[in-house]
This record gives sequence, structure tokens and C-alpha cells, in this order.
Amino acid sequence: MSDPGVAISLRGVSKSFGDVHAVDGVSLDIAEGEFLTLLGPSGCGKTTTMRMIAGFEEPDAGSILLRGTDVVGVAPNKREVNMCFQHYALFPHMTVEKNVEYGLKLKKVDKAERRQRVKEMLGLVRLEGYEQRKPSQLSGGQQQRIALARALVNRPAALLLDEPLGALDVKLRKQMQLELKRIQHELGTTFIYVTHDQDEALSMSDRIAVMNQGVIEQLGGPREVYEQPATPFVADFVGVLNAMDVRVDEVSGEDLIMKLGERDRVVVSIGATGTSAGVGSTLLVAVRPERIALHTADTATDGGSRLSGTVGQVVYLGTLTQFHVDTAIGKRLIVHHLSDEASSTLREGDAVVLTWAREDAAILRDG
Amino acid sequence: MNAAVSNGGRRWLWLTFWILVLFLYAPLVILLIFSFNDRELVSFPWQGFTFRWYHTFLANDILLGTLRTSLKVATGAAIVTTILSIPASIALVRRQFFAKGLASGVLLAPLVIPLVVLGTALLILFNLVGIPASPVTIAIGHIVIALPFAILTLVPRLERIPVALEEASRDLGAGWFITFRQITFPLLLPALFSAFLVSFVISFDEVVVASFVAGDNVTFPIYLYSQLRLPRQLPQVIAVAVVILLISAIVVIVAEAGRRVSDRHLEAEIAVNEEEVSLS
Repeated sequence: MSDPGVAISLRGVSKSFGDVHAVDGVSLDIAEGEFLTLLGPSGCGKTTTMRMIAGFEEPDAGSILLRGTDVVGVAPNKREVNMCFQHYALFPHMTVEKNVEYGLKLKKVDKAERRQRVKEMLGLVRLEGYEQRKPSQLSGGQQQRIALARALVNRPAALLLDEPLGALDVKLRKQMQLELKRIQHELGTTFIYVTHDQDEALSMSDRIAVMNQGVIEQLGGPREVYEQPATPFVADFVGVLNAMDVRVDEVSGEDLIMKLGERDRVVVSIGATGTSAGVGSTLLVAVRPERIALHTADTATDGGSRLSGTVGQVVYLGTLTQFHVDTAIGKRLIVHHLSDEASSTLREGDAVVLTWAREDAAILRDG
Repeated sequence: MNAAVSNGGRRWLWLTFWILVLFLYAPLVILLIFSFNDRELVSFPWQGFTFRWYHTFLANDILLGTLRTSLKVATGAAIVTTILSIPASIALVRRQFFAKGLASGVLLAPLVIPLVVLGTALLILFNLVGIPASPVTIAIGHIVIALPFAILTLVPRLERIPVALEEASRDLGAGWFITFRQITFPLLLPALFSAFLVSFVISFDEVVVASFVAGDNVTFPIYLYSQLRLPRQLPQVIAVAVVILLISAIVVIVAEAGRRVSDRHLEAEIAVNEEEVSLS
């Protein structure tokens, strides 16, 4: 019945708090050794889902299988998963060593082995020699590593991480993302990671479950979620997005075409989307800002989309410059362009031409 | 202009402050002075400095006996109160349950019930149930009075211990009892110490309820009160009062200072350290 490659399996899990459906029929299989991220805005149910896996909340309906065994009703201290808390939750009155060996002591692991495993773990998180420090003597990043060591030393079936990097500054967060990935790779432990930060999710995960209002809107690899968002919510939440209504004027082979004036047109490929839209249907189409090419001179379309417009606003972002362009589609489109010499000369009011390839437009909704 | 910062306003505040201090502490100073006055009557004129009254009370067995009774009652009452206040405050802070507001009201109500009423009620209850008056009945009365104070001492501390610490302990394999023993209790300890001292002091100088349920077990405050009718005994009673006053003051100050220091300590330890030190 249960697949040996599956670490955790959620089946129709629901949880309400009063009238609020925090989690609404979530089903999800998490493979052994996978790095899975639950991504979504606050209140989307991601933390509740994680807390149900840990055992701090019990589902109203559905089952949670941990390596094939239903753990609903099992106390958190009897579940073979460990958690990294948002604010680390290190025991302030204990040394680093006592913190890390806490779980092992409860499992009656003998002293020599305990010491050995604590040492290994501190090595893994690169904090050897910190055994006798108190948590208050550590920086935020160091506390984070100790929290990680304290959970991982128990060799859990899965590690649950609840926005673990939320309290760190940007630079350290990037550094810790790489660290987490390295540690996960070295140990091969299943990681379930909760975050509202799409960059974090995209850069670390094997798969991302994008959650909204208690349901999983899309489950897929980072590239898939980013490039082929399944719903308008996913498209909007995972990165900046240009969403536009496209009324189909013409169908040509695999292409759905909307004509705007003499040369401007938006082309969407039916491709794998399996849409049944035809002439007269209206589609909601999304294009990522970095997929749009910006030309100062007139350019041929080579079968893709082409819109002429005028620059409405220029926002310098460092590596990239963001252009807000008014076009015939009636919506201001956001375009990201490398901050090179060409882009630095563009000003508000300049005429530009936007083009993108037909496969860069994703259909969010048809009909 | 703000009364607190204008010159005239500041002088006015200063003056009222000292009048208040005088009002609060002048009686105690008078007590202190008379405890050293070499005169049988507690009144001026000053007839010379003496330690006589301190020597007499140390030789007064009845007085020392009442002190011992009071110490016993206060210690017992404080221990039981502190133990009872732990589950009560955990329930109030950590748990959600039906009619929680009512429960908290019931637990804290003795704060506003007149002591005379409480004493009468306890006396009637003890008679009905057939419990003879003893130091234990006094202690029971004092537990009722002290419990709200002990709870109010523990609640703020408990509120500052993050729930995540207890969850982390559970997550790492500890049941609720080990979690309490290893995590909650050590972090609550300074507040427990304060709760114990507060309960002790409350019990030690309580006279109203005690006089209802004491029977012939005379506590020190009851003894003190009865001696007011015998002017000859008064100077030595005043001397004891001074000693006790000083001891209580020291105990309370130490307890409060200790609580503050350890609170700051806890605050520092549980605060998320957001200042970053590079690890390289």
C-alpha cells in the first residue's frame, strides 16, 4: 500500500480554526530525501500543515502517513520528525551541548555516543568548539545552525523548517540558504520547508507546493512553478508578472493570435496547454518581465508577440533596470533589462518595441 | 507647558512626593525611635538610648513561641501556595478552556473579599466539617489569601517564556512532565522564588483571618495586637516589630531585585539576536 520511497504522505488533510478553513483537503506525497517547500502568503495554511506533520495540531479530517504509518493522534514526542522553529527556540538556560544532546538523552543514548554525535553535528554546521556557550552568546546565524544541529542529531525521518531564515538579514539569509542545501545534500534527509519568500523557495527546493487559502494551487519543480504557473495566484505570487487579457482573433496552426493594430500582436502557443480556446475566446496570459525583449529600433516578430509602446517609468534596480511600458494592450507591462549602456539612455516618453517568444507566454485561464 | 518639566511644576512634584513619603513612613520611623527609648511609656520625652527592649524580648518565651508559630504557619502556607500557583498559572497562560475568564476571576477573587468575611466563612466551614483550630487551619486561611498574589507573580513570567521552547522540547521527544521539569520549571524558578517570599510575608503578618481560625494557637501578629492593651509590654513588642520590619523589607527588596535581574537575563536570552556576526 505504501510506497517505500515516500517519507510523508498527506491524504485529504483538513483543519479548521473556528470558521476558518486553515487547511482544506490537502494531499501530498513527499519523497525520501526530497527538499519540498510549502510556499504561500501568511494565513495560507502552510504553517498549520507543517504543525500537523509535527503533531502540534491534529487534523479534523484526513490522514498523515509517516513512512507508511498513520501518525494522526500520535503525540509530537512520539513522532520521528523534528522541527526547526522560526525563532530557533533554543533552551536559554542550557549550553549548546546540552541543547543539541537533548533529544539523544531522552532516547537514552549513552554518553560516549552522545558526545560523538553532538561533535559530528557541530562539525556539520561548522560550529565546532562552541559546546560550552550559551545561546545568548551566539549570533542569530549561529543560533540557527545550533537549532539545525539539535534537530538533525536525532536523525529524523524528516526535518520540518518553519521560516527558519526569517529573522536573519538578507546577506546572511543567502549564505544560510546555501548552507541548508549543502547539509541536506550531505545527510540526504527529507526537508520540508515553510516560507513566504519565493526566491528562497525557488533557489532551494526540489519541488514547491504553492498554497493559498488552505489548498495547494500548484505542485511542481521551481522552474515549472515559475515558468508555467497553473493559476493566476501562483503566477502573481511567484515573482513579478505581467498578466493580460488576450482576445483571440485568429487561430493559425498551434498559435492563438490577438491582433492589435497593423503590426502589433500577441501570440500564444496552444502547445501543451491543451486549451480549447478558439476565435473569440478571451485568455488570461502571463509573461515574465525578464522574458520580454526591449528594442529601441523597429524589429521583426519572427512569429512571436510584438507590441509597440512608450516608456512610462524607469526604475533602476542594480543589475537590472525595470521599465514600465504603456502598450496597445491597454496595460502597463513591466520589462526587466540588464542595466547596460543601451538601457541607461532610455527615458520616460521614449518609443520602444517589446517582443517575446510564443512559448514565453503562459495561459493562466481560458474562457 | 507640561507640569512635569516646567520649573514650578517640577518643584511641586518634588514637594508632593516627599509629603507622600513622609506620610507613608513617618509612623515606622516613630516605631524605630521608640524601640530605642529608655522609658516604659511609649511617648516623649526621649530618656536616652537603650537596647533594653531588644534584650527583654529575646528573653520573653511567650513572645518567641508566637514567633515560632508564625514562622511555621508562614513556611507551610508559602510552600503550599507556591505549589498550587504553578498549575493555576500554567492553565491561565497556556491553555484555552471554557469559561477561562470566570476561572481566573474565581482564582483572583480573594484579593477583594474582605478579610473579616473570609475569616468568618472559614471559621464556620471548619466548625461544620469538624476540623479543630490549629496552625494548619491558620495556614489554610493564609493560602486562600496568598494564592492570588502568587499567581499574579508567576503569570507575567510565564507569558514571557515562549511556547516554542516547550514545543521544541516535545518535538525532541520529551513528554509534558519532562518538558516541565527540564524547560518550564528552570525558567520559572526566579518567579517561584518571588511567589514563595510574597506568600510567606503575607502569611507572616496576617492577623484578621488568623484571629478567627487560630483557636488558642497564638501567632505573632495576634500576640502583638493583644499586647496593645498592656502598656508595660509595649516597648519590647515595638522592638520585635522593628526587627521584623527590617527583615521583611530586606526580603522583599532582595526578591524584587532578584526577579528583575533574572527577568532581564531571560529577556536577553530569549531575544532573537538579529545583529549578525560574520562566521568566517
